Amino acid sequence: MTASPMSLEILRMPGTRAYPPRESVFTQPFWQALGEGRLQTSCCRACAQLAFPPRPICPHCWALEPGWSALDKRGHLYSWTRIHAAPLAFAAEAPYAVGIVDLRQGIRLACRLIDRPLAPAVGAEVELLALVYEDGPLLGARVVAPPPEPAA
Amino acid sequence: MARKVALIGTAAIPVGRHQSAEDEPLQVLEAEILSRLAALALADAGVEKSDIGSMVFSLPRPYTRQKYFATFMANYLRVSCSGTVMEVLGNGMTGGFAFDMAANDILLGRAKVALALGINMESATASGEHMMSSMRATGDVDFHSSAGFTPIAWYAMDAMRYMHEFGATRAELASIAVKNRAHAEHNPMAQYRKPITLEQVLAQRPIVEPLGLYEVPPRGDGAACLVLADEDTARALGRPYALVSGRGFHHEGAHQISEVPNDMIAFESARRAAATAYAEAGVSAADLDFAEIYAPCTIVEALVTEAIGLVPRGQGAAAAAAGETRLGGRIPVCTSGGLLSRGHPAYVTPLYGYIEAAEQLRGRAGARQVPGARLGAVTCELGNYNAALVHVLEAR
Repeated sequence: MTASPMSLEILRMPGTRAYPPRESVFTQPFWQALGEGRLQTSCCRACAQLAFPPRPICPHCWALEPGWSALDKRGHLYSWTRIHAAPLAFAAEAPYAVGIVDLRQGIRLACRLIDRPLAPAVGAEVELLALVYEDGPLLGARVVAPPPEPAA
Repeated sequence: MARKVALIGTAAIPVGRHQSAEDEPLQVLEAEILSRLAALALADAGVEKSDIGSMVFSLPRPYTRQKYFATFMANYLRVSCSGTVMEVLGNGMTGGFAFDMAANDILLGRAKVALALGINMESATASGEHMMSSMRATGDVDFHSSAGFTPIAWYAMDAMRYMHEFGATRAELASIAVKNRAHAEHNPMAQYRKPITLEQVLAQRPIVEPLGLYEVPPRGDGAACLVLADEDTARALGRPYALVSGRGFHHEGAHQISEVPNDMIAFESARRAAATAYAEAGVSAADLDFAEIYAPCTIVEALVTEAIGLVPRGQGAAAAAAGETRLGGRIPVCTSGGLLSRGHPAYVTPLYGYIEAAEQLRGRAGARQVPGARLGAVTCELGNYNAALVHVLEAR
């Protein structure tokens, strides 16, 4: 476990990514940082809102030329599923789990879920991590604690 | 008085496996199927070929060899038009947009009679290969497809969330598949008609947890042709027709997921589109006699029945399990068998929805007829119901 909530654990993965994402001049810094265990996304210089996935326009106010902002890796699991019927490129990995994560900073994203526990509880506390394959990284998440007890 | 649109004629092939494999010596040709349906639909409507002012086609799948299909068909059928000849695409809403654009040409006075038609052929392409294409249709191709997300994975996550929030059970969700199969038994257009039990649904292998094989859409081919006309033309024909009395659309500006957290299982677009359609028709959800809902998975039907006001929030699955949405129940839903049993030839699926509504409103639904059906709603969607198109149709 890494100490800083801004620093992602790097999990070395065997082989290459089944369906690698494309990188652009704009998104390359995101993927490079992810490969180094840092999560960042575009942040509007005009209205200060974050966007995810990162993009060169603010989806809220349409201001251009955003900056980059680091993201806290901690959040909770909004929902998840395990995919058994997979596209050809992913057939060897099936079944695999994916989930929707709500980060503490108010950003919702969807990524691969590292498969422990086998049936995570909706609402569980999760941390994002970098899944680093031979050809580059993907974003992942792992359950670190069961859902917090509801307030009495 | 404002012009109105009527659905006056329909024809379709049963949903199923129609596409031929590449190596078969005799091939099934799309134009041969669709041209026959156009002739049958026109005869059903009682209008002439020369009356047609517009033709709006759903885009064929990429597996259909003939491209520029709409203009090819205009020649094949020798139809000259002054309204529109075009193909439309809008994910699962494609057939809905074909209907909507055909209706628009009538509303704009560009056509008195317009066809909404199309053919979707895909079953000869293996699922794993087809999914290499369909996985690029949901989420972000770089950020989500790279993780292996598939279209129905999003609905599965809806189901997981729904069970968590409202305590709905697997059996309640699965009952929707049983109910729709019972409806499909009486629909000659349905792909799967043999009744199934709750135990069978629950025993199927998992596809996207918690959903098993019978709770996700089968793959199939289909083709349909609808004849729309302005109401004056429809009335003059002296036959029963379905009047389009309300229409609503909303897109919430998300594609499966938005980074701004919202209630993903509220299906806000369906709620808003239905509200618009009901208001235009001057009705409320309680006035409907039936609803034909675009629901690729059991969970989707539960959520849409809630969003369009047929059942209270959180009660969609329980209401289905209690029989409220079956034939003979309080508000029958998917009397055709729905996407799960009638079938889901995706780009023409909504056309089958309007056909079912017309069959009910023209009193031609046979053993699955809702007695005295006068008012029905038809929905279709794109994304995770990020957009919804809702029509209210009335018997005339």
